[in-house]
Amino acid sequence: MTSVISWSASSCQGCIKCLKACPVEAISIVKRKVQIDEDKCIHCDICMRTCPSHVLRVNGSHISDTLCKHEYNVVLIPTSILSEMKSFTEFQQVCLAIKKLGFDEVAEYSDIEGYLYHQALVDSSKQEGVWLTSFCPTINQLIEKHYPTLFDQILPYEYPVEVAAKLIRKRYSDKDIGIYSLCECVGKMLLAKKPFGNDESNIDYALSISHVFPKINHLKNEDTLDIDMNKYGVKSVVSQTYSDHHKSLVKIDGLDQAKHFLNLLEFDNLENVDLGALYACYEGCIGGYYLWSNPYDGGYRLENMMDNYQQDIVHLNKEDYLLDRELVLKDQKSMKERIAWVKRINAILDTLPQFDCGACGFANCRSLAENVEKGLVSVDTCRVRKGGQS
Amino acid sequence: MLKQYDVKKDSYETAGYASYDIKSILKTIGINPRVLKRISIACYEAEINLVIHSDGGTITFEINEDDGTVILCFDDVGPGIPNIEKALTPGYSTASNKAREFGFGAGMGLDNMKNCATTFDIQSSKEGTHLRMTFV
Repeated sequence: MTSVISWSASSCQGCIKCLKACPVEAISIVKRKVQIDEDKCIHCDICMRTCPSHVLRVNGSHISDTLCKHEYNVVLIPTSILSEMKSFTEFQQVCLAIKKLGFDEVAEYSDIEGYLYHQALVDSSKQEGVWLTSFCPTINQLIEKHYPTLFDQILPYEYPVEVAAKLIRKRYSDKDIGIYSLCECVGKMLLAKKPFGNDESNIDYALSISHVFPKINHLKNEDTLDIDMNKYGVKSVVSQTYSDHHKSLVKIDGLDQAKHFLNLLEFDNLENVDLGALYACYEGCIGGYYLWSNPYDGGYRLENMMDNYQQDIVHLNKEDYLLDRELVLKDQKSMKERIAWVKRINAILDTLPQFDCGACGFANCRSLAENVEKGLVSVDTCRVRKGGQS
Repeated sequence: MLKQYDVKKDSYETAGYASYDIKSILKTIGINPRVLKRISIACYEAEINLVIHSDGGTITFEINEDDGTVILCFDDVGPGIPNIEKALTPGYSTASNKAREFGFGAGMGLDNMKNCATTFDIQSSKEGTHLRMTFV
């Protein structure tokens, strides 16, 4: 997999704000270069939001290069985009403007989200234990990379956008089609084949909303596209509205809360919960990085439009949405080797101040110790230790 | 590899600290997540038991460096479990009202631990309870 969040040296001030902000300690700065460890990174957007010089970014695909490659181009629009619209009519105007960029079809997948939303409530109440929703790519990566004990508790569903792409590909099996996913967040950008190399996906290209939207303003007018949204799909992307009357369901938004919840769950400490609806962004998907206003007004606008949504539940076949999730364990070293490795690191750690100040360019003293053990840097990289000794 | 923790009677506010630390160490080592899950649950239950039932004690955490077996020992200084067989029954609880106010004491602890651990040995007298669990 290619590196997702890229860093450009040009205007980096060399502060350590990204490193201190990263919730999973994936960032290090070695010889003034920002490095992101893909094995730890969960592709949230916190470093990008934190960087004062905006030198951390994600580059999506460019439609100018790809539209001509396919006979028929379909773009999937995220449900959360509604939160930016003043009215449902405006949403339909925007959809037509997006189409005018050169797509043959604009499709939405809130009906699929709606179905999986209901399925999550049914499945989690039927089965024993606490289940976790599977709709947020960043949360799924947080669990896979940092809470692997809870991996088996993620609902075994494919991402709604992926299901949508699969069904569209089936429908147009006789055509050479290009499928695009317009993304409201960084995590979703990873799901597509391009640009980040998820070759198993049915989505060909990921586009960010903020990259596409400036191009549609001059294409927008009074004309509308006939397109629907599903009420339950809309509810599923907003943490506040995720099933109002389900007592055994908790909604968790933001990574801090999510981590707290997962820590409790690792000790099997939640007695009355059946389902945790987890979102990495505040207020749910409507807090996505590429949406330009704010999720609080956004939530209001979504609820105001509630009468415009259709309420049917589509039916999906199990083979279209069930997923055989498998936890990939990378480290093949024997237990003996791993314990010896931890002991070496602990020995180095004992010589460090353990203030976790970050001034050395590593998130904490432990990760400095890990890199000293690898032979990448010297213990003298620690500025506090030097100061203390002189 | 060996580490020891002191647990004080009625230390509700810090209850769970040792379990959290043990979990972090095992995560760093990279132990199988399914085994870690069993260890975390059992360790937390046992630590809470020390806090709510005992007069204080210690937790000893050990890993066999050759085969990776994790050994957890919980030794307290009393007052002992009068009837271990009864205590092992799911739902049977002698927890105080104070413990229940904190959400503990559902009576599932010992049974839960027994299900999580590979071996489970418990001995108890008025002088103290000694619990030893191993995990493979």
